[in-house]
Amino acid sequence: MSPRAVKSGASTPAARAAKAAKAAKAAKPGKSGAARAKAPPPKDARDRLRRVLFLVPYAVKNPGIPVKELAQRCGVSEAELLEDLDFLLGVGCPPFAPDDFLDLYVEGDRVYVALHQSLTRPPRFTESEAAALAAAARALGGEGAERAVEALRESVPRDRRKSFDELVGRIYAGSPPAPNSVLGRLRRAVAERREVRLRYFTPSRSEEKDRVVRPYTIAQQFGHWYLFGHDAARGKAIPFRLDRVRSADVLDTRFEPPTAAELARARLFSEPAGDAVRIRLDPLAARWALARPGLRVVERAEDGGATVEIQGASDDWATRFALSFGGGAEVVAPPAARRHFAEAVRRALGRY
Amino acid sequence: MQKAQRLLDLAALLLRAAEPVSWREIQEQFPEDYAGTGEAAIRKFERDKAELLELGIPVRWVQGDEDLPAGYVLDRDEFYLPDLKLAPEDLALLYVSGSAALAQGAFPYAKDLAHAMNKLSFAARAAGSFETLGSSAQALSSGAAGDSGGGDVASRLEELSTAVALKKRVHLVYGGAERAASTERDVDPYGLHQSHGAWFVVGYCHLRKALRTFHVGRILELSVNAAAPRTPDFAPPAGFRLSEHATREPWEFAVHPPVRAKVWLDAPVAPEARASFGPRAAVKDEEGGATVELETTNSEALVRHVLSLERAEIVQPKALRVRARAVLAELAKRCA
Repeated sequence: MSPRAVKSGASTPAARAAKAAKAAKAAKPGKSGAARAKAPPPKDARDRLRRVLFLVPYAVKNPGIPVKELAQRCGVSEAELLEDLDFLLGVGCPPFAPDDFLDLYVEGDRVYVALHQSLTRPPRFTESEAAALAAAARALGGEGAERAVEALRESVPRDRRKSFDELVGRIYAGSPPAPNSVLGRLRRAVAERREVRLRYFTPSRSEEKDRVVRPYTIAQQFGHWYLFGHDAARGKAIPFRLDRVRSADVLDTRFEPPTAAELARARLFSEPAGDAVRIRLDPLAARWALARPGLRVVERAEDGGATVEIQGASDDWATRFALSFGGGAEVVAPPAARRHFAEAVRRALGRY
Repeated sequence: MQKAQRLLDLAALLLRAAEPVSWREIQEQFPEDYAGTGEAAIRKFERDKAELLELGIPVRWVQGDEDLPAGYVLDRDEFYLPDLKLAPEDLALLYVSGSAALAQGAFPYAKDLAHAMNKLSFAARAAGSFETLGSSAQALSSGAAGDSGGGDVASRLEELSTAVALKKRVHLVYGGAERAASTERDVDPYGLHQSHGAWFVVGYCHLRKALRTFHVGRILELSVNAAAPRTPDFAPPAGFRLSEHATREPWEFAVHPPVRAKVWLDAPVAPEARASFGPRAAVKDEEGGATVELETTNSEALVRHVLSLERAEIVQPKALRVRARAVLAELAKRCA
C-alpha cells in the first residue's frame, strides 16, 4: 500500500472504533475473553513485544500449532500466551480498516493466523541476543567459530553492530576445550552424521586408545564439555570428555541418529548408584566450595566449615576434588571412598 | 494507547508502506500519541524509534529526492532476520553451544539467549535437524547443573549483564575467600567471564582502587546504580582485554613476586592435565612423563592444583616441595 493509500483510509476516530469493535468481537470466544480482564504490568511491555515479534511469524510458519507448544516455545504459560493473542488483536496498521489488523485465532486449542501484516519473519538479532550466542559459540570454538560470530554480527541491524562488537568483548564463556581441529571435525561429524575415529585418553586405565564413535551431540556439565555418542567397542552411547580427545578423524560411514525422544531420555552419566560421597571442608575451603553447583550441605560447623555430599561422584573424582583444596578438605565417607583418598594421600606423600 | 501496541502499529505501518512515510502522516495516523507541533511529540517519536531499534527494528529517515518524498522507512531487508548462510557444522556450533549455555541456567543475557535460540529457527535452512541437536544438547547438559544457589547466580548474572552493557556502577556485598568477613564496595563492571564452571565479574574496584575479579557465586548482595539508567557511569579503559583476565589461572593471581616453578607429570599424561596449566606454561615431553615450567605469583594455588592432579609432583622450587609435604603429612595424619 502506498502512503497515499494510507492517507485515504478511514478517519482516525472511526478507525479506532472499528479496532475496538474488532477486538471486542474477537474477545468473545471462551478462554481468551476471560484472559482479557488482566492487564499486563507495564514493566514487561518490552518482554511482550519481543515475544510477539517471534510468536507471530512462528505461528505463520507453523499453521495450527497447539497453544501449549507455542506457549512453551515462547517461554510463557498458556494463559499468558492467550493474553498475548488478545493483545495482538488490537494491533494493526493505520488506517485501521478491518483488514489492517493482525488476526490470530485459536480453534480447537490450535493457533492460526488469518492476517499477519507482513510479520512473517522475526526482526534481526538485537546486539545482546547475538552477543550472548556468539559468546556461547566461542567457548566451544574450533575451526570456523569466527565465521559463525561474523554471521551473527551481520544479522544485527547496521546501527547496532558497534555495540555488538563491544559487548562480545565483555563476555568470555570459557576457552575451547580441545584443539581447534578436533572441535571443527567433531562439529562437522555431528552435523553430517558421520562416524569419527577418536584418539582418546581414558584416565581410569591411564591409556590412550582409538575409539570409533557415532557422534550424537555435544553437551556440557560441571564446566566440562563432552561428546555424547555411540561407542562401537562398548556397544552403547557414552560421554567422551572433549579435553581428553587428542585427535579426531571424520570417517565416511554415515549413521542414523537416535530419535529426538531417545536423545531427550539420554543422560551423560548413569544414575548415581550407592552412597553419596561426603567431604569435610574447613572454613576457607567451605567458602570456595559452597559457591559451586551440585553440592549438598549436610552439616555446618560453628567455625564456618561444612560437610557436603556429592551424589554420583566417583572415588577418583572425590579424591581429586578434596585435594584441590590443598589440605582444607578430606573425603570422609563412604568407607571405600575414604580409603581411596587416604591411599592417594599416602602415595603423594611418598613423592616428597 | 499502550506503548507496546503503538510500537507494533508503527512497525506494521512502516513495513507496509511502499514509500517513505512523512512525519506529518505519522502524526495523522497516531493523533493521540504524537499530537502537537512541538518538540515533545518529536522527542516521543524518537524514543519510540530508539526502542524499536533495541528490539532489532531499524527505522531510518531518508532525504527526499525527485522520485521519493522524504520520510521514515523500514526496509524489509533491514527488518527481517536474514538467513545466516552458514555451513552445517557452524550451525551445529550455534545450536549446541547456545543450548548448552541455556541449560546451565546461569549465563549472561540468558533471556536474550533464549530469544536468539528461538529466532535461529528462521535464520537456518533445514532448522529442524539442528533443533533436535540443540534440544538434545540442552537435555544432556541440564539436570546436574546448579541446584544449590544456581538461581541466585542466574539472577545476579542477569543484573550484572545489564550493568556491563549499560556501563552502570554496582554496589556489592562480597564474601571473600581468604578473609572471613564480607566487604562492601562499588565496582565498575567491565566484563563477565566463566572459568571451570563458575562465573566471575571483572571490574574497577573503588574500595581497592584497582582492577579486581569477583566470583559471582560469592556476591551476597548486589545493587545496580538506578540513577540515569541510560547514561553510562564509566568507560572501561581502552587497553582493557577481558580475555587476559579470563585465562588467568589461580596461581597467576598477584599475591607475591613471581617465582619460577617446575612440575613433573607422570606418563601417560592426560591431555586435560597438560592443558590445565594454561597457555603461558611450557610443557616438554620427556622419558616417562612431561615437565611443565611456569611462573607463579600465588604459589599456594599451584600447590593445590598439582595435588589435585594426583599423578604429578612439584620439582622446584624447594619451598613449594616443603609446603606440599606439609599439607600431605597433615592429611595423612588425619587419615591414619
